[in-house]
Amino acid sequence: MTTGTAPAPTASAAGWTPEPGPAGRAVTALAVRSVRRGAVLVTAVAAGMPALVAVQHRQLDQELAGASLAALAENPAIRTLFGPPVALDDPGGFTVWRTGTAIAVLVGVWAALATTRMTRGEEEAGRWDLLLAGPARLPAVLLRHLAVLLGASALVGVATAAGLVLAGTATTGAVLFGALIGGTGMVGAALGALAAQLLAERRAAAGLAVGVLLAGLLARMVADGVPALGWLHWLSPFGLLGRSAPFAADRVLPLLVLAAAVAVLVAAAVTVSARRDVGSGPWRRPGAVRPGARRLRSLPGLVARHTGRPVVGWGAAVAAYFALIGLLATTMTDFLTENPRFAELAAQAGFAELGSVRGYVASLFTLLAVPVGAFVASRVAATAADEVAGRLTLLYSLPVRRVRWLATELTGVAVGAVLLTGAAGLATWLGATWVGADLSAGAALAGVLNVLPVVAVCLGAAVAALACAPAAVLPLGVLPAAGGYLLLVLADTLSWPGWVRGLSPFAHLAAVPAEPVDVPGLVGLLAVAAVLTAGGLTGYRHRDLRG
Amino acid sequence: MPTSPTAVPALRAAHLSKRFSRTVAVDDLSLAVPPGEVFGFLGPNGAGKSTTIRMALGLLRPSGGHVEVFGVPAHDVGRAHRHLAYVPADVALWPALTGRECLDLLDGVGPGTDLDYRAELVERFALDPDRRARTYSTGNRQKVALIAAFATRAPLLVLDEPTSGLDPLMEREFRRCVAEAAGRGQTVFLSSHQLAEVEAVCARVGILREGRLVEVAGLPELRRLRRSEISVTLARPAAAGAGLTGVDGVADLRWSSPLELTMTLAGPPAPVLRALADLDVVALDVREPSLEELFLDFYGDTAGGHRSAGEEVRA
Repeated sequence: MTTGTAPAPTASAAGWTPEPGPAGRAVTALAVRSVRRGAVLVTAVAAGMPALVAVQHRQLDQELAGASLAALAENPAIRTLFGPPVALDDPGGFTVWRTGTAIAVLVGVWAALATTRMTRGEEEAGRWDLLLAGPARLPAVLLRHLAVLLGASALVGVATAAGLVLAGTATTGAVLFGALIGGTGMVGAALGALAAQLLAERRAAAGLAVGVLLAGLLARMVADGVPALGWLHWLSPFGLLGRSAPFAADRVLPLLVLAAAVAVLVAAAVTVSARRDVGSGPWRRPGAVRPGARRLRSLPGLVARHTGRPVVGWGAAVAAYFALIGLLATTMTDFLTENPRFAELAAQAGFAELGSVRGYVASLFTLLAVPVGAFVASRVAATAADEVAGRLTLLYSLPVRRVRWLATELTGVAVGAVLLTGAAGLATWLGATWVGADLSAGAALAGVLNVLPVVAVCLGAAVAALACAPAAVLPLGVLPAAGGYLLLVLADTLSWPGWVRGLSPFAHLAAVPAEPVDVPGLVGLLAVAAVLTAGGLTGYRHRDLRG
Repeated sequence: MPTSPTAVPALRAAHLSKRFSRTVAVDDLSLAVPPGEVFGFLGPNGAGKSTTIRMALGLLRPSGGHVEVFGVPAHDVGRAHRHLAYVPADVALWPALTGRECLDLLDGVGPGTDLDYRAELVERFALDPDRRARTYSTGNRQKVALIAAFATRAPLLVLDEPTSGLDPLMEREFRRCVAEAAGRGQTVFLSSHQLAEVEAVCARVGILREGRLVEVAGLPELRRLRRSEISVTLARPAAAGAGLTGVDGVADLRWSSPLELTMTLAGPPAPVLRALADLDVVALDVREPSLEELFLDFYGDTAGGHRSAGEEVRA
C-alpha cells in the first residue's frame, strides 16, 4: 500500500461522524417498543368504558331526572367519592361523573409506572450505559422517552374523546374530557420522569410518583367535601377535571393549568437529569451503612426485609383512603335515607344497600380487594424480577428448595395482605367512630377480612403465572381483582347472563358486614386459590430458572 | 490429596445433555471429578460451561442424562447443596442489602462457615462489607460471593469464571485461596477461559467445545498445549538454519525474508534464547496464542491457519 494518500482516512472519518438523527430515532423506536403494549391496553379501557357508560345512560335517561339529581350535587359524601356530579341529565355529564375519576387514576398511574420503568428501571439495570455510550446524552435520551410517553398519553386522550363522540355525546365536552384524561396521563408521565431523576432506585421513584398522584386524589376528595379548602382542586389533576366540568361548564382554564404543570414538571426533570451522574440521583440514599446490630441470617428475615417497606407504603395509602371513607359514613347515609331514589339507582350500578352505614362500608370494602390484589401480584412479580436479574442464583446454590423459598416469600406476602386489610378496617372504624357512625370494630374487621379470598385468588393466579408465564405475573395476578370488579359492574349494569357474572370472584362475595358471610362462596374462592397456588408451586419446582 | 479409587466422585455427570428449543447447549457430557481435585473446566464463550454448571446446581433440568454431587442427584438441592458452595459468573445481590448482610445470610442459610477465616478473607480481598450491594462494582460483588464460598467448609467449590471482574492483585489472592482450599482437601471445580489461571491452580482440565467435552487432560499435557509465537527481526542475514532448527520446543520455523523469522515455542524459552544470542537480533516479539487459537489448532478445525503447528503438538 502506498503512503501519502491522506484523503482516504479523512473521507472515512467524515463518514463515521456521529449523526444525532438516526441515533435519536433508534432511541425513540426503543421507547415506542417498550410502551406500546401497555398503551394499547390502557387506550382500550379509557376509550371503551366511558363510551359504554354513555350508551347505557340512554336507557336510564328518564329515571335519572328530577329532585334526586339536584340533591346529589348538594351532598358532600357523593361529591367526595364520585367527584362533583354535574350535568347528570346529559349522557356525557353522567359518564364523566361515573367514570372520570377512575379513568383518570388508571391513566395517570399507568403513565407514572411506565415512565419510571422505562427510564430509571432501564438505567438501574445498566442498559442505559450502553445507550449513553453512543452520541446521545442523558437529557436527550430522557426527553426522547418522555416525548413517546407524553404522546402515548395524548393518544389515550384522543381515544377517550373519540369513543364518547361515537357514543353520541356533545363534541366540545368529549374533546375537553379527552384532553383532561390525556393531560392527567401526561402529568403522571412527567411526575414519573422527575421522580426517576431525583431517586436512584426505580421502586422508590415509582412509589413517589404514584404517591404524589394519589395524594392529588385525596386532595380533590377533601376539596370537594370541605368548601373552605376548595382551592386544593388547583393542585390536583383530578381536581382540575372537576373544575373544568366537561359537558356542563366546559371550562378551558383548568386544562391550561394542567398543561402548565406538565411543562414545569418536564422542565424540572430535564434540568435535574442534566446535572446528575448516570446511575445516581440527588436524593440517593447513602451507600455506606454503619455496621449495625441487625443481623440477617434466615430466609424469613430476608423476606421481612424486602416486604416491609412496600407494606408500609401500600398500607399508608389504603389507610388514608379508608379513614376518609369512615369519616364520611354519616353524611353519606343521612343523604341516602333522604333520597331513596338515588339508593335505588346506586344499587342498579353495583352499589347495593348504600342506605345503612354497614351497607355503605361493605360496598366500599369490596373495592379493597383491588389494591390488596395489586399488592400481592406486584410482590410475586418482584420475585420473577429477582429471578431474571440473577438474584436468586446464589440463594438457590444453598441447600434451599425452590418450594421452600417461594413458600417463605408467599407467607410474607400473605402476612402483608392481611396487615393491609387490617389497616383498612382499623382506619374505617376510627374514621366512623370519630363522626359517631354506628360501626363496631368487629364489623369493620369482618368486612375487610371478607375480601381476603379474592386476594388469595390473585395470589394463586400470580403464582401460576410465575410458573407458566413469568413475564406476565403482574397483569395476570391483578386480573381476578381488577378485571373481576370491572366484569361485575358491567354485568350488573348491562344485565349480562348469570354465568358471565359468575366468572367474577366478586359475585361470590357477600356484602359483609351488611350481610352474613357467604360461606360456600368463600370456600369456593379459597379452593380456586389453593388449586392455582399448588399448580404454580409444582410448575415452578420443575421448570428451568431464568437469569 | 490422595484419592481412593472407590471414593464417590465430588461431581459426576453421565451422558448429560441440554437442549434449548433448537440449540443444543450441552451434548452427551460424561465427567467425573474425584474428591480433593482442582479441576479446570475450559472452553470458549458459549461452549456450554455455565449451562453444565447450572444443571449441576439443579437450576436447569437436563434434557438427558444426569448429574450428581457426592452421589446425590443434582435436582435434590436440599441434600446436594449441603456439599457445595458456588460463585456465579455474574453475581447479582439484593441492592438494598449490605455486603455483610449478604455474607451473614449465605452463612445462616448455607452449609456452615468458618467465621474467623471469613473475616480474614474480607481483609485479604479488601472488601468494604458495610456498603449496600447497589454501590458495589462487578468485582466487589464477585468478592462477596468468593468470600462466602471460600469461607464455607463445603467439600466442593463450584466457581464459574470467578475472576472475570477482579484486578491482578485480587486474582493472585484468588489463586492463593484455591491453593488453601485444595490444601484442606476441598474439591474445586473451576470454569474459566483464562488459560494462565487454570494452569496455575488446576491439576486436571476438561475442555468443552460446542457443548461436547473434547478432552480431559492432566496438567503436563496442558503445558504442551501452551505455545507462544515468536517473531524475530535480524540486523543482517544469518547462516542457513541460524542454529535454531532442533532447539528444544521450537517448531514451525519460517523465514518470511532473510531478516525476519517466526516460530512457535512450547516449554521453557531458555534454549531458544541462547540460540538467538548468537544472532544480531534487533526486535523480538513473543505472543501467546489465544485459547481460541489453541482450540482451533489442537482439534484441527478447518478454519485454523496453523495446521502444521497443530500436527506438531499432536505428534
